[in-house]
Amino acid sequence: MSVTEGRLTRADLLKLGGAGALGLTLAGPAFGRPISQEATTMTMLTWSDHYANNQLAAVAKATGLRGRPTLFSDNADAYLKIKQTGSQFDVVSADGLWVPKYVKSGLTEPFDLSDLPVSKQLFSLARQFSFWKSGSNYMAYPFSWSTVQIYYNPKYVKTKPDSWHAILDRKYAGKISLENIPTDVMAIAGRATGAKKPYAMTSAQLSRAKQWLKELKPNVLKLASQNNEVVRALADESAWIGITNLGTDDRVKDARGPVVKAAYPKEGTIGFIDSESIVKRSKHKDVWMKYINALEQAPWIAKNFITNGRPLFNEKAYKLLVNQGHGARARRLLYNKPELALKMTIKGPAGNQQAYIDAFNEVFGA
Amino acid sequence: MEQQVATPPHALPPADVSAGRRGSRLSGLTQYAGFIPALLLYGLFFLAPFGLIVAYSFWQTIDYEVVHKWTVDNYRYFFSVPTYVRTMWATLWVSLAATAITLLMAFPLAYWLVRYVRKSLQGFFLVLVVVPFWTSYLLRVYAWLNILGEGGAINRFLQWTGVTEHPVSFFLYDRPAVILVLVYLYFPFAALTLYASLQKFDWNQYKAALDLGAPPRMALLRIVLPQMKAGMVTAVIFVFIPILGEYLTPQLVGGAKGVMIGNLVVNFFSGAQYTRGAAVSLLIAGLIVFLLLIVRKSLEVEDPYRA
Repeated sequence: MSVTEGRLTRADLLKLGGAGALGLTLAGPAFGRPISQEATTMTMLTWSDHYANNQLAAVAKATGLRGRPTLFSDNADAYLKIKQTGSQFDVVSADGLWVPKYVKSGLTEPFDLSDLPVSKQLFSLARQFSFWKSGSNYMAYPFSWSTVQIYYNPKYVKTKPDSWHAILDRKYAGKISLENIPTDVMAIAGRATGAKKPYAMTSAQLSRAKQWLKELKPNVLKLASQNNEVVRALADESAWIGITNLGTDDRVKDARGPVVKAAYPKEGTIGFIDSESIVKRSKHKDVWMKYINALEQAPWIAKNFITNGRPLFNEKAYKLLVNQGHGARARRLLYNKPELALKMTIKGPAGNQQAYIDAFNEVFGA
Repeated sequence: MEQQVATPPHALPPADVSAGRRGSRLSGLTQYAGFIPALLLYGLFFLAPFGLIVAYSFWQTIDYEVVHKWTVDNYRYFFSVPTYVRTMWATLWVSLAATAITLLMAFPLAYWLVRYVRKSLQGFFLVLVVVPFWTSYLLRVYAWLNILGEGGAINRFLQWTGVTEHPVSFFLYDRPAVILVLVYLYFPFAALTLYASLQKFDWNQYKAALDLGAPPRMALLRIVLPQMKAGMVTAVIFVFIPILGEYLTPQLVGGAKGVMIGNLVVNFFSGAQYTRGAAVSLLIAGLIVFLLLIVRKSLEVEDPYRA
């Protein structure tokens, strides 16, 4: 260091500053590390209704495993994220038939469900989904399920719409709201037009489904980016009909909206059974069981039901809800009937995804 | 006799000459050193991803896999389906309408600020213009749902004043709602740009025109506006180009009738159809470049005196 007449030159000051910054950078991790950084971070690619912040905090405190969720909307989007950046995630949530697709693509790996003590809290049926079995192992930990049905405001919709075709009536012009999930909307259109496998439609079936959607389009008020927008449209009565998940009636009521009722279309409907899986390239596979075991405990799942209002697969949580006085609501939302989950068309990857998206865009473009 | 050539006292010996050349080359390079961070930023985060998007647009997606097989199918598909071309046109006219309205609203404000507001107060009003930026874009759009919706402020006012008995639904979920919200969102960009342009204007020219008998309207049209061309073109660029790529505003307030091309691109990407999405994105980018080339000439300001 050159000191001229006891004063630092600008060059010296810069050098000193640089050295100081370097020193702080190097010393920082050693001295300034907060205790919480000692915890392992479990990165989750999931939906917002799979966790609560206080739940993650409690799990972190109890296990030292800190959950860091990243959200996604469409299964296809999550699938590609895991494919491209798999090692960055430890847990991925997926719907129904997407789970075998992940396993087949080598992105997630099956495990022995009985190694998870919390799995004993599940309905026995949820431990035996044939489409999630992989030899003696299971592909994912079952979380929740819901059908997608028609919710209607009886103040404006006088006849219960018990068919997908009922909502094509022009008296509902600009009064229907549904979520903007192209593959699922095409699958609903497939169901409406009699496709046996709505996620694996042939060209002719896709063409019929597209025609049905074209007829529906004038009745569509908006394609919502989130479920809460459908709830909002029903609550402020700008929409009379919503095509959405179980529990929407409660959410509309919570939003100070009118009474809305559910109708199950006679042609059948689609729905989801969702889950948590182990990402194959995860760096924390050794603690995955410990983390899921803490995260999925009945008290948290019961709270999740109260917040999100759709059935889950944790039977012990159902019993807790009954004991807490929420039994009637849980039964109304089919929590006690997990077998109904198998009666709907379970969401999965489309046989020809590009054709599905093309058809959807061709209908809903200008 | 060999003539001695005197070496000028300031000339360098040969070795030093080459060092001098190296030095000047070095100083030539160092003058570009400041460009390196921008080059790295644009190279890494713009040019490289852009190259990737170009490549994707010529590839295919088969069963959620991007297959590196070169094809123009994604472009052919776009032009063979009338919906996309129609949606592109709709996007273009919504963008043009929103830009025109934004400029028509921003110009009087900028003019008023520069001409009639004390210098010390101008800053205060400009802060008011940019205040909306202090909240998130999403919140600002959501706020309009509360204003335009059936249970929103406008409908409540109409019902309160007895103009309507029941809520009116046409304020929301259609193109006019999209244009209105876009005007609101992009107004500050236009206002600030026009203000900066007007502030630099030499108002003596305007006064001279009035002194020479030009009516104020004519002076504004013939003297002020031609010299503001560059500012207006810049404002158009700041407003029109981002609007062309908008998807969130039409998604939230446009409903099924207010769809713009950005919404269809989002559907491609969320449905894992990256190659189709890349092709449509590039077509939008191509349209923007084409329009920029057209307006480029307008950035050259005319000399009002034809000097």
